[in-house]
Amino acid sequence: MSSRPLEPMRHGFREELDQLRLQVELMGVRVDENLERMRDVLRTGDLDLAALATEADNEIDAMNVSLTERCYLLLSRESPVASDLRFIVSVLRIVSEFERIGDLALRVVKLAPHHHLLARHEVLFDILVTISEEAVEIYRVALRAWSAQDLHLATELATQNRNLDLYYERLVSELQRLDGLDAVRIAMAAFAAGRSLERIADHSAIVGARLRYLITGEPAHLAAEVR
Amino acid sequence: MPDSRPTFHQQLDDVQRDLIRLAARVIESVARGTEALLTLDLGAAQTLIDGDDEIDLLTLEIEERCFTLLARQQPMASDMRAVVTAIRLTAEIERSGDLMVNVAKAARRLYGSEIPVPLRSLLTAMADEAVRLYGLAMDAYASGDASLAAAIDDMDDRLDQLHEDYIQAILEIHADVRDIQMAVQLALVGRYYERIGDHAVNIGERVQYMVTGWLPEHEGAARIAARAAVPAPEETT
Repeated sequence: MSSRPLEPMRHGFREELDQLRLQVELMGVRVDENLERMRDVLRTGDLDLAALATEADNEIDAMNVSLTERCYLLLSRESPVASDLRFIVSVLRIVSEFERIGDLALRVVKLAPHHHLLARHEVLFDILVTISEEAVEIYRVALRAWSAQDLHLATELATQNRNLDLYYERLVSELQRLDGLDAVRIAMAAFAAGRSLERIADHSAIVGARLRYLITGEPAHLAAEVR
Repeated sequence: MPDSRPTFHQQLDDVQRDLIRLAARVIESVARGTEALLTLDLGAAQTLIDGDDEIDLLTLEIEERCFTLLARQQPMASDMRAVVTAIRLTAEIERSGDLMVNVAKAARRLYGSEIPVPLRSLLTAMADEAVRLYGLAMDAYASGDASLAAAIDDMDDRLDQLHEDYIQAILEIHADVRDIQMAVQLALVGRYYERIGDHAVNIGERVQYMVTGWLPEHEGAARIAARAAVPAPEETT
């Protein structure tokens, strides 16, 4: 059998892969928008914005399902090998990271009713806001790395020392100095927010590791990321 | 031309068997991690933390086999759902293992403290309930029992209630703020058990998908599609 008749199909497959890359980027942008809402809700306790973020997360979840199903379809229909197989498998793993980052943002958003408690302690509150800015910034590096398929950015994400970790340590030590009637409630809310933000940065770093695997094909990057 | 189906099913059976073994290790780690926490046994905590690397590698290996099965064997319908379910379950089980690592790390942070008696009994009850739920979810997977899988969500209410009681107990015991760090660590630990229950519910949902093709996300996606199809109020006036 000649290989010529297969060419249009492979060409179509290539286009589908390009489309998939763009759809992942779009999902990443939706997550970014919700991270922005998360940061505003943390600062202001705006309940309407919190409701909007919750609604937007449903759409992120739906995008995750749709992209995941498309990947499974491409895997079983096209029997990809080598870099194409690696690309689809990487998409499956990266959309799952984006979805988890979205869920973590929602955890912070759901603390909106406790905003008055968090804002009462100025030092603690400032550290939390700073951590949220750092986490969003790290996520944005991950999104840029994906958009440009940039190995340098991906490596930076997976290996860098983060200011966020220092702020997180300060948060934990500040929590231990709390006193007063609502100290335990404040500590629990602040810790929940801080930990979710820290994990947003961790999952962004995992996107970097997955991207390194995709670009280099080196399985060591995949093993290194497993938690 | 030889039929590849038996090979595919053999490989799928191997994947399912390994997944059940993986889950058994995680279920075992719930009991061991809880014991390490209640006795603040640093050695047992470290053993559990070290053991998680093996769980992670096994997870990755099963996942890779599933991707290869999809790409090489091109399964259809229920076979496709079985492979997809296996991929989803690897993630749920691996995350559950990570949660018990977090419990072990909390045991290290709490070393030198004494966990109050009312919290100890609630921790034990939550661990028992998490083990029970997880065991039932994996039974549903092993036997392809959609009814049992569907019931896990309601069964999880009991673990959720225990978690609420536990948080309330922390707030009451620590109302006079003796040790904030301890209160926060203990609250986090409770959350880890609650999340293990959530993973058992997710496994139940994935098993329902495997058997019937039903997925909760499909309902959510359908709702979003339906909303998108309805004109906004201002457009209708």
